[in-house]
Amino acid sequence: MVKIEVLGTGCAKCKSLAKNVEKAVEELDIEAEVVKVESLQEIMNRGVMMVPALFIDGEAKALGRAPSVKEIKELLRS
Amino acid sequence: MNTDIILPPLEAGLDVLLEYLSAHVLACLIPAFFIAGAIVALLQRDMVLKYFGADGKRWVCYSVAATSGTILAVCSCTILPMFAGIHRRGAGIGPATAFLFSGPAINLLAVILTARVLGLDLGAARVVAAVSMAVAIGLIMATIFEEENEKSDGEPACTPSATDLDDEKSQPAYVAPLFLAFLVGILLAATSQISLWPKTVLVSALVLISAWILWTRFDETERSGLFGETWWLAKRIFPLLLIGTFITGVIGYFLPVDLIRMVFGTSDLLACLVASVIGALLYMPTLLEVPIVGTLFGYTSGVMAPGPALALLLAGPSMSLPNMLVIWRVIGPQKAGVYIGLVVILSTLMGMVYGAIV
Repeated sequence: MVKIEVLGTGCAKCKSLAKNVEKAVEELDIEAEVVKVESLQEIMNRGVMMVPALFIDGEAKALGRAPSVKEIKELLRS
Repeated sequence: MNTDIILPPLEAGLDVLLEYLSAHVLACLIPAFFIAGAIVALLQRDMVLKYFGADGKRWVCYSVAATSGTILAVCSCTILPMFAGIHRRGAGIGPATAFLFSGPAINLLAVILTARVLGLDLGAARVVAAVSMAVAIGLIMATIFEEENEKSDGEPACTPSATDLDDEKSQPAYVAPLFLAFLVGILLAATSQISLWPKTVLVSALVLISAWILWTRFDETERSGLFGETWWLAKRIFPLLLIGTFITGVIGYFLPVDLIRMVFGTSDLLACLVASVIGALLYMPTLLEVPIVGTLFGYTSGVMAPGPALALLLAGPSMSLPNMLVIWRVIGPQKAGVYIGLVVILSTLMGMVYGAIV
């Protein structure tokens, strides 16, 4: 089971990343825990300065941008 | 029955809307959206962040903080996390507040639209005033709160893991800036004062060259990234801008011109102060400060004087009630209070100076 975290302060891009993640998980049909991290404090604690950010199993995969569904699927496969 | 009451304001709104949809505004907005999209998709923007470390030279830190908003702050929601990050990574309160202020004020789309709709002079004044104010605010904040200059509390900046990095570099480093330069060229050519035929030829030539660079030098991912970001920005900002412009037109119809002229007609202290306080409190979606100043307060028709117009443009996009609350939480009430006060006072002063010059 993978742990996917979406870090974002609720901006439009962060929402679109969250949506893409959900779609990617659904299309791959894998078991995943998707967590949304919205508190600025918590985002800072990760050392992330550009939102949205995507973490997979605790590792930063994308910062300051919202990867497409296709890209997220590839990230999840590897 | 009461069409006399309903129709004229709607017509006023429609008039303003059509003005914004006219060729000369679109000629600047469409290339501007592409430039903003290209910046987001093609430039490695997080490079800028490395200048904010604790050991960086101070003047480099302040210059980067005051100007990097041009390429970083396409969307205002990215400003606050970066502000908090710069603050905590050891660069301190000075550069952090400089960035916080200048970011939204000099964002590329806003500057281009200001220069196009409200005039080149006000557009240029906006950039110069915003950058110098950012440095001033940063230095004052650093001086006041220096003794409690807390050390960076540790966490190293996050860098994306290898998968995110290696798909970026499919071409030499100069290609992306060169491509951007051609896009800026399109913008300048499309908005220049030359006559129609040479302009059409010039713009088409530049578009062709840009398209050629795009198709031969960038790979599929970067291309789709560029178009995706451009479309995303346009989709988000354009409808808001159109609806907002229409609404400012309608409200502007009801606002008594005499009252506005009385308050904002000159560039004296009171006018600039009222303008900057309104700007600081009011939340304005990206770009909407332009029709608010131009139409709602009648800068375009000469009702509002240049001083208060600039003051509103300076305090407006950088601050709003919701964003004050976040700043309050991040740096505490004392620093937040001083920062907010500085923005209002300096915007007022800048407005008065500008009003005295023009």
